[in-house]
Amino acid sequence: MAKICSNQQALNSPYARKLTERQCEKLYWACLEILERTGVHLYEQEAVDLLKKAGAHVTDGNRVRIPSGLVEKALTTVPKTVTLCDQNGNRVIHGGGHQSYFGTGSDCLNIRDHRTGERRLAVLKDIQEGMILCDALENIDFVMCMFLPSDVHQEVLDRYEMEAMLNYTNKPVIYVTTEFSGCVDAIKMAEIVAGGEESLVTHPFAGCYINVTTGLRHNQEALQKLLFLSGKGLPFTYIPSAQGGVTAPITIAGTMAMNNAGALTGLVISQLKREGAPFIMPGWGGNMLDMRTTIQPYADPEKRGQAIDFAHFLGIPTFALAGCSESKLVDEQAAAEAAMTLFTDAIFGGNFVHDVGYLESGLCGSLPQLVICNEILSWIEAFMKGVEISDETLCLDLIDEVGPDGQFLDCQHTLENFRDRWYPNLFERSNFDGWQSKGGKSLGERANENVNQILEDHKPEPLPKDVAKAVHDIVEQAENTR
Amino acid sequence: MDKTQELIDAVIKGEEDKIKLIIMENLSAGTPAKEIMDQGLIAGMNIVGEKMESEEMFIPEVLMSAKAMSSGVELLKPHLTEDEASASGKMVIGTVQGDLHDIGKNLVKMLMEGAGFTVFDLGTDVSPEAFVEAIKKNDADILGMSALLTTTMPKMEETIKAISEAGLRDKIKILIGGAPVTDEFSDKIGADGYGPDAGSAVRIAKNFAPDYS
Repeated sequence: MAKICSNQQALNSPYARKLTERQCEKLYWACLEILERTGVHLYEQEAVDLLKKAGAHVTDGNRVRIPSGLVEKALTTVPKTVTLCDQNGNRVIHGGGHQSYFGTGSDCLNIRDHRTGERRLAVLKDIQEGMILCDALENIDFVMCMFLPSDVHQEVLDRYEMEAMLNYTNKPVIYVTTEFSGCVDAIKMAEIVAGGEESLVTHPFAGCYINVTTGLRHNQEALQKLLFLSGKGLPFTYIPSAQGGVTAPITIAGTMAMNNAGALTGLVISQLKREGAPFIMPGWGGNMLDMRTTIQPYADPEKRGQAIDFAHFLGIPTFALAGCSESKLVDEQAAAEAAMTLFTDAIFGGNFVHDVGYLESGLCGSLPQLVICNEILSWIEAFMKGVEISDETLCLDLIDEVGPDGQFLDCQHTLENFRDRWYPNLFERSNFDGWQSKGGKSLGERANENVNQILEDHKPEPLPKDVAKAVHDIVEQAENTR
Repeated sequence: MDKTQELIDAVIKGEEDKIKLIIMENLSAGTPAKEIMDQGLIAGMNIVGEKMESEEMFIPEVLMSAKAMSSGVELLKPHLTEDEASASGKMVIGTVQGDLHDIGKNLVKMLMEGAGFTVFDLGTDVSPEAFVEAIKKNDADILGMSALLTTTMPKMEETIKAISEAGLRDKIKILIGGAPVTDEFSDKIGADGYGPDAGSAVRIAKNFAPDYS
């Protein structure tokens, strides 16, 4: 697990921010103003009723204007960190503050097949291989399903995704479901693996990724999932997806105000449903539609940083996004965009950083790209460490002992400490002859080989047979009621 | 010989005390020193060399093995005949005139010693005459020259000429290295080999020495 944390007070590790406290405050007040003045449309009656009872102003059946006080109150009860366990119940992720964790994205329609180099529709086997890879990669801290399986019934594909994530890795899971019923089934499966309803609450290893239509328009499935999971006290993200220039103003501030008004709406509903329910808000701000191509850019530099600042200001964990690219290939653009986005999210201190390994703005995934991102994260982890300046690390006695003409290569001190320095795994440092003697391969070729090696060697810890069967029964039930 | 594998492992791990202990035990039991040297120490260092080339072992670990190996050789020396003791070969090494860079040269020196060679280090800024003198004096089999600067590379060619003029060229193998040095350059100036890194320098030197076991 990568131990990446910006702004570590004790060691003065690097950190960055774009927004001042004053700017965050102004953005926050803008969100409150939107909620009081414009209000939101909620397409789930229970959410409307909860807000109405709490003092919100409801017109036209589901247009809800939320008084600022309700937001202020919700901010006092929401937890500042969200803990996720691995599937054995070890508390491995404490998402909050400046602590960063990294995971894949979900539901790529296509895969750039590393065996053939072809782009094709993804299948269930791709998810299974992806999870084996994630299980082995030390800097991938949590998993999302990576691919959309084209070879199963599409109405129940989310059950197959969840099953694969439980069967082929032991890491924490962020799941996505199309309908509300899929969310209920995902929780049923997670409860089976955790050993019961109560165990999943005390040792939560699965969080739901909830997307909301826009900041001001909350679809029924999103609200149903929010209410269901808040009721149980289980973690989820609540990410309004307004796009600048289409469903929100084109300005970064305008899009952020609208989307975060939506996030705060979700926050209020979750805390009305159950005070202290965990809640994760967006870690990117200012989505846009690329007006030349109509794609929504993932590696957009302008949407990075400020949303993490804003969440730090509010004291709420973030779901951030990095390690992704607009490139169609595992190429120079993919490596550059992955590196820059991972670096920025780490240095700003985003918490649950997902979409690692995405290509084509989320439409294509690649296993070698994920392996390259794992290497980039190793680099970033080394960079983010503070530097220890102490009597021990200054080595003044050793310097004096060796003297001006001596050398340190064969000193015991060098032998004992050289492994503390960072060494790459995939990035090539050999001199030209050394590199050539190893076959003179590019990063992409080496990443390909690494994927094959891991898939051959790595055997994830399997679920106990009865547990795996009980999980599969949920998939079968969904198939039968389809 | 007893505990052969243990001795090989001790060399790989750079465990000087353990190496000495196993050698003494074997010497007391009457094992010929040459056998201990070949089957234990040199066999161990051969594995170290392979592990270094495959990047399993890092330089400080290799040097620790080399150091431990050398202390073992010291212990064996009184029990070896003169021929046996110098079987691996004698090397003169130095950085050429005008060049003060010695990290690579030092590394080659330590690894050569670890491989059982006797190395005479002339240091840096070594003139062609000084190389010739040292080869004669030490009856060396191998010469190692290093240069980091493109401006000092011509000194390698000058040194080789001086060696030829002194009538020594046939009795010595010349190995060159340093960042700007290439195989083509080595051929052009009439050297016998070029090592792109310290590990391959040792490997090439072993091929030069016919008696190397």
